[in-house]
Amino acid sequence: MNIIVSILSLTFFAQVLRLFTPYFLGANAANFSERAGVINIAIEGFMITSALGYALFTYLTNNIFLGFVCAILVNLLFSLLYALFVIKLKINQIVAGVGFNLLMAGLAKFLIVFIFQSSSNTPRIPDLPNIPYIQDIPYVGEVLSDYIILFSFALIFISNFVLFKTKFGLRLRSAGENPEAGESLGIKIRLYKLYGVLICGFLSALGGIWLASNQNSFSDGMVAGRGYIALAAMIIGKWKPVNILFACIMFAFFEALEITFQISGTFIPSQIIQMLPYLITILVLIGFIGKTKPPASDGIPY
Amino acid sequence: MEFLLNKKLKANIVSISISVVLTFLITIILLLILGKNPVVVLGTMFGEVFGSGYGLGQTLFKATPLIICGCGLAICFHASIFNIGAEGQLNAGSFVISLVAFYFSGLPFILLFPLCLLSGFIVSGVFGLIPAIIKIKKGVSEVISTIMLNFIILALVNYLLIDFFAVKSTVRTEKISESFMIPKFSEYFQMFQGSSLNLTFVFALLLALFTYYLIYKTSFGYKLRAVGFNETASKYMGIKNNKIILLAFFIGSGITSFVGINFIMGYKGYYELGFSNNLGFTAIAVALLAKNNPIGVIFSALLFGILDYGGLAVNNIVPKEIMFVIQGIVILSILSVDKLVEKYYG
Repeated sequence: MNIIVSILSLTFFAQVLRLFTPYFLGANAANFSERAGVINIAIEGFMITSALGYALFTYLTNNIFLGFVCAILVNLLFSLLYALFVIKLKINQIVAGVGFNLLMAGLAKFLIVFIFQSSSNTPRIPDLPNIPYIQDIPYVGEVLSDYIILFSFALIFISNFVLFKTKFGLRLRSAGENPEAGESLGIKIRLYKLYGVLICGFLSALGGIWLASNQNSFSDGMVAGRGYIALAAMIIGKWKPVNILFACIMFAFFEALEITFQISGTFIPSQIIQMLPYLITILVLIGFIGKTKPPASDGIPY
Repeated sequence: MEFLLNKKLKANIVSISISVVLTFLITIILLLILGKNPVVVLGTMFGEVFGSGYGLGQTLFKATPLIICGCGLAICFHASIFNIGAEGQLNAGSFVISLVAFYFSGLPFILLFPLCLLSGFIVSGVFGLIPAIIKIKKGVSEVISTIMLNFIILALVNYLLIDFFAVKSTVRTEKISESFMIPKFSEYFQMFQGSSLNLTFVFALLLALFTYYLIYKTSFGYKLRAVGFNETASKYMGIKNNKIILLAFFIGSGITSFVGINFIMGYKGYYELGFSNNLGFTAIAVALLAKNNPIGVIFSALLFGILDYGGLAVNNIVPKEIMFVIQGIVILSILSVDKLVEKYYG
């Protein structure tokens, strides 16, 4: 009974929204890259790097805005490097993704020890500012006045619009569906693949920044597989922003449920709820819940 | 044909050597940027690793699970199967090995050891069969399914361990009987005194030889490589691709469970949550660096072992975590150098 009450509460709703944000940013990041035909399984690493970048530069410059910009720049630099590997050198995207994940997670582990002499986390950093007025709304103000959460709401429309209603989106998708045909029409396919990877870097940076800002620090292991859940959400969402939205809400709901269960204690083991997103993804892939098909030329170097 | 093979081998050796050198160069530059003396850091590292029996023993001890897991993955990779799921597979198998060794304490070691190997192999292998089956039946890429399975298996092991098998208020299983512990090198050689290096290392070397034989000298290995090289062509050669993919997944994943032998029977005596510490991912780098050649895996695992133990040795000069960075650099250098050498050798 208690559990039903706590699930129906506004706190629970706010919790779902908070958990939803990094998933949705990560899933859209991955989607832009895959729509351009580049698989990026290093979303996890990109989120780690930007989370650390934000915490580190905010601490060093004592300026949230500079920290924000630097975190995005760092991620864009890594995206360029990733693009060099998979677009220019045509290295297998899965293997490169594993490599980048190892490097970026390792770099973060190393830098927090090297710079802060702590094996676990950075010093405390201030919150991102809230949007004035909105934050005064009772109950929901705190969540809705968060710039990044609001942006991720807007992203539902932006993603859909950019991918399906603009010339840019059409060209980007042609790079992922049929690059030869696109090239024959004069589209610079590799350039559009690069755009896809860069947008991916930018959006995953927002996800990482949000995580660090929400926790007021960077700590080792804080991204905790969210990059992989984002990938799963993209697949379940069949590479379509609106479906991705629902997949992310579902995953966020399960995670919030897990947290609620942990606090109140139930007969359902928390590990079972933990594995649900992954289990559902596999079931979707097997075809129990509708067919899912990636862009035709996804992962094939061009 | 013989000429081509030699050329390929030559290209491999060239690209591996260049990437190792490149990694050291990048590391030296990195150390200079961080304001550390590379000569001191690298000198201390190699001095510690090769300067004492203990250091050498610890290095070989760290290399042991990497050889084992690297060999398992090499089998998968030869069939062009991107098994990213070793981390989960090896944890499932190792967990079961610790349980079997604890609950069958009445058996003599000579029976218990094969039983442990077999049960670990089957459990890890079956978890490898899941992605194989859904790849064959539904055309689902093993990359995504193995990543998802990692999380599922780890949560499952976590659940079984915490709720049923763990020693109270710890995250480990009961200690197995002392008589099941695999002898340490230090029992035979005074020089390895204090090191955890045990006979599992010899087991790992034999496993590498066996894997080499399996891949390059048997008809299964030939078919494995044919499937990995060109699935359409192998089908027309009369090879049952699906059967090979199933077998490669089963054997490759099954082998990864043997890393538990080193930790459980050779070192701690129990399975502990998080013992693998991303071993399943590091082993991907090990196999890649070795170009999936099991003999090469021995050497690349040694390099990673040097980095692993060397990191501890230099920890008071520069944080040991730098070795994670270097491991990342190794894998990215081999990937990029490979492509460039490939272009040069045509």
